[in-house]
Amino acid sequence: MSHELDPRWNRRELLAAGTVLAGGLVVGTPRAGADTEVETNIADFMKVPRGPHAIPGPFPGKVVRVVDPRALRDEKVDGKVVGEMFEKGITKLTGRNMRESFKLFFTPDDVVGLKVNPVGAPLIHTKPELVDAAIRWLVDGGLPKKNIVIWDRFDGMLKDAGYTAERFPGVRIEGLQTMDETGSSWRTADGRHVSEDRFDRDAFYFAKGVVGKGVRGYKDDEFYLNQHVFAGEHSYFGTLVTRGLTKIVNLAAFKNTGNGISMATKNLGYAAVCNTGRLHQPVFFRVCTEVVAAPWVRDKLVLNVTDGLRGQYDGGPDKNEKFVWPLSTLFFATDPFAADMVCHRLVVEKRKEMGVTVNEHPRFTEYLHYAEKLGLGIADPAKLKLHTVRA
Amino acid sequence: MTPLLAAALLFAAAGSGDLALLPPDGAAGGFRRAEATQVFPGAELYGHIDGGAEIFFEFGFERVTVQRYRRGEDEVTLELYRMSDPLAALGVYLGKCGRETPAAGLDARHTAGRHQLMMVRGDFLVIASNETGRETVAPALVGMAHDLVARIPAAPLPDVFAALLPERRVAGSERLIRGPLALGAFITLGDGDPLQLGGRITAASAEVEDAKGRRTVIVAPYPDEATAAAAATSLRAGLDPAIAVLREEAEGFVFRDYSGRFGRVARAGSRITVEVGLTDAP
Repeated sequence: MSHELDPRWNRRELLAAGTVLAGGLVVGTPRAGADTEVETNIADFMKVPRGPHAIPGPFPGKVVRVVDPRALRDEKVDGKVVGEMFEKGITKLTGRNMRESFKLFFTPDDVVGLKVNPVGAPLIHTKPELVDAAIRWLVDGGLPKKNIVIWDRFDGMLKDAGYTAERFPGVRIEGLQTMDETGSSWRTADGRHVSEDRFDRDAFYFAKGVVGKGVRGYKDDEFYLNQHVFAGEHSYFGTLVTRGLTKIVNLAAFKNTGNGISMATKNLGYAAVCNTGRLHQPVFFRVCTEVVAAPWVRDKLVLNVTDGLRGQYDGGPDKNEKFVWPLSTLFFATDPFAADMVCHRLVVEKRKEMGVTVNEHPRFTEYLHYAEKLGLGIADPAKLKLHTVRA
Repeated sequence: MTPLLAAALLFAAAGSGDLALLPPDGAAGGFRRAEATQVFPGAELYGHIDGGAEIFFEFGFERVTVQRYRRGEDEVTLELYRMSDPLAALGVYLGKCGRETPAAGLDARHTAGRHQLMMVRGDFLVIASNETGRETVAPALVGMAHDLVARIPAAPLPDVFAALLPERRVAGSERLIRGPLALGAFITLGDGDPLQLGGRITAASAEVEDAKGRRTVIVAPYPDEATAAAAATSLRAGLDPAIAVLREEAEGFVFRDYSGRFGRVARAGSRITVEVGLTDAP
């Protein structure tokens, strides 16, 4: 039976548990850095009993990488090879065949969200060929195509990256945020944000005193609201995430963001909620742990596949050809923090190999260790189990 | 195009995004403008860049003009980033360009590849992207850059790297720094703006190799000695807790960083020099 979390039920439970936000309950926050001073509602998330599919899932600390140079030839992705890599990755991760692996994570009545990363297309986004492979697996397992949703934060970016109804017939494609029907305005005629009702006011990530006003780079509140829908201390989860999906398959892209990475946990941490512009400066990477720790993500995120067909080791998260290389690799894990720690280390290795200065300050991986403290995954390199499958 | 005409175009462009600078229909082998031109002034850059906009603001950003061009199934996106000054444009460019691979005959600092071309000219950083990745489109990126070079006058640049001896510099390692984001590529010295550059003072950095070994050297020139002294005091007071000071010196200190490498901060008059990445303690 699939596990579906009712956000309203959780909120009641939180209130019943007496975890009032103003009470300042903060557990296991990172060890250093300014962001430790920001109070969030992570304690509330951690008080909710974990669902049966909660991360780190059945394989904590285990990461499978499948390498096949045939996957990318003359700059073109070979969908057939990617499909073979996908099968090798899943079966190596679970130790089961594809059908049994499906049963490990899903039931045919699930609604499965495929979280892609469209930023950096056509070089360094989640490749449609990987999404094809995931869809084939789900459909072969018995999931109706209409129960599959390719999603991201902004629908316009999905379209620009090639995630269209024509390319993926029968599958839903949905951005948490959209514009009006003309594609030219964020607001309805009566001034409401077009996307307001796409976010669940009962499910939120709270960061005390961190609001979307005066955020560097945003010229005024109006502009911030257009981009982020809300501007207060709450970043609401997308209704698709809280009520629409019962499972999430996280298909991130292999890329850096500054000295850190923008892969599995950032793909969800900064996309499952709105009002994120306010969070970058004060609590940047911590969001990747705490938003993923929320029950609406944590209990539904059954699989992470990081698309490293190409990798980008510098200049990210947007594409930069100068730092892209054919990695020809897919990474598989039920534990997103293990996947990110493995990939972070690979990015650092690559940067050193290429002569790029590496700033290895602990703050760039602290959020991963923090997740381990919270029991959400494994980040300690000594505990990670990396399995490599080569063509 | 004469310099006078280019200057006139530049002036005309300033009032309307930078539409007047855009290559016309038929440019670069038959590409035509597709969709409306988009202009993202000031803070609206966030409406164009999802991740990575902050570095533009740190250096000084005015607006970006974005135009898509199509030729059959081929598509090119041209982005004209008008920065606050030529050094701001160069600063962002140096952080993005990697090892430069110039195309022959293009009279502006640039790097060209199959997927992207980046160029710096005057106050502008130009990025042309081949959206389909087809190899046959790459020459069009260069063609559009040629068109832009004719429309954007070059601007003289001060030799901001003069303090970093050319004979010791590792070629291609030069960078500019105006705040914590650019500095953070090398080292985290503390929260906020550790060198107090404020987006106005332009520090220069480069990899240097000599008898002391290979390291990154950052030189920050302040307007006067008092400002430099205040910045040095602030840096020492707010030093990142993961950095251990090994030795205090008259106008600075020697440290070991979180990676086990060594460095030194030294102020001399109105200049602060930071060395990072040394394998042995200085």
